[in-house]
Amino acid sequence: MWRVTPGQALACREWDGEAVLYNDLSGNTHLLDGAALDLLHALRVRPADAATLAVRLADHFDAGDNDLVSLIDDMLVTLAGLDLIEPC
Amino acid sequence: MLTVGSLSRAELEARLSGAGLVLRTGPFANRIRSDVQPLIDGVALMYADYPVDPEGGFVDFHLDFLRSGGLRRWVRSQVHFAYDGTTPFQPLPLGQAYPMLEWTMNWCVSHRAHGYLIIHAAVLEKHGRAIILPAPPGSGKSTLTAALLGHGWRLLSDEMTLVHLDDAVLVPLPRPVSLKNTSIDIIRAFRPDAVLSRPVEETTKGTIAHLKAPRDSIARAAEPARPACIVFPRWEAGAAIALDPMPKARAFMQVADNSFNYQVLGARGFAALGRLIDASDAYTFRYSNLHEAMALFERLAQGAA
Repeated sequence: MWRVTPGQALACREWDGEAVLYNDLSGNTHLLDGAALDLLHALRVRPADAATLAVRLADHFDAGDNDLVSLIDDMLVTLAGLDLIEPC
Repeated sequence: MLTVGSLSRAELEARLSGAGLVLRTGPFANRIRSDVQPLIDGVALMYADYPVDPEGGFVDFHLDFLRSGGLRRWVRSQVHFAYDGTTPFQPLPLGQAYPMLEWTMNWCVSHRAHGYLIIHAAVLEKHGRAIILPAPPGSGKSTLTAALLGHGWRLLSDEMTLVHLDDAVLVPLPRPVSLKNTSIDIIRAFRPDAVLSRPVEETTKGTIAHLKAPRDSIARAAEPARPACIVFPRWEAGAAIALDPMPKARAFMQVADNSFNYQVLGARGFAALGRLIDASDAYTFRYSNLHEAMALFERLAQGAA
């Protein structure tokens, strides 16, 4: 299971399918695509694992079921590397 | 209103060597003290049209530029800079005193004026539309700025774009435009009317000369401007002119990289830059011919890319 890291307000601005997001913990700003932003918003609603997120976000992603879980897993690891999310 | 140009040379020197000349540049009051003739020459020529604030008012930056003492006063004399009693920089040869004044005034703003988001960028306005030119050294930013000032553009700044944190309005800080090396002769040829300071050779940036800011820009220094475009210029020998739209999120990241204090401001800087990007179209711009660039920027001023 993953959740948004406590302390992250996920302040972001989105233009034309790309977004910038302010990282409250590091002070850095990240350039994200729409898919990464969708994952963060979904995790802000409630913690979830990759399989659950794949079901919830199937309409947002253009990938097959198995590929989608794997894709989301990779994205979650990347977002965790930025301290935006953490295991719970 | 008292201006530097309304002071006689003797009065100017008396202020600089006494309690200090309180020079008004945009929102800032700079108290300058100096006994260095090349610096006084530069101030007299480049700042003639600038207001002098009365004694006893609030001063943002206290700047002292004094000649070496002892043997150094007579052999390879140097100028020493002190800021609020500290000496953040190494002394420089006396002949570089005026460029040193410009660099240190930039340093004061970029390191202290955190009431604004400060972008390392030129900013000019025409027909109510301000265009921001963020660019690293060598991109032709200052050359382009100096050329545009001869075509009816108002100078807000050649070096530092001040963005109001609450509403993304651009606050003018019109100061002399810094030209380096070959740019000096390019502008002399392109704008024979331009007033330039005496070129100073062998600085850390090569040969430097400053272009006097237009009188109208100085007179309108209290008049903010609305952002319309962010243009990332790149001069390239022989290149065909090209203006290409840039995705806003990428423009955000590049402007943040070109900012002096984006990191310092934290979430406030993020919000302010977001508002600036909201209000601006973003482009990359490549050029080799200044006449073509003038025509294209006129279209941008009219609201048509």
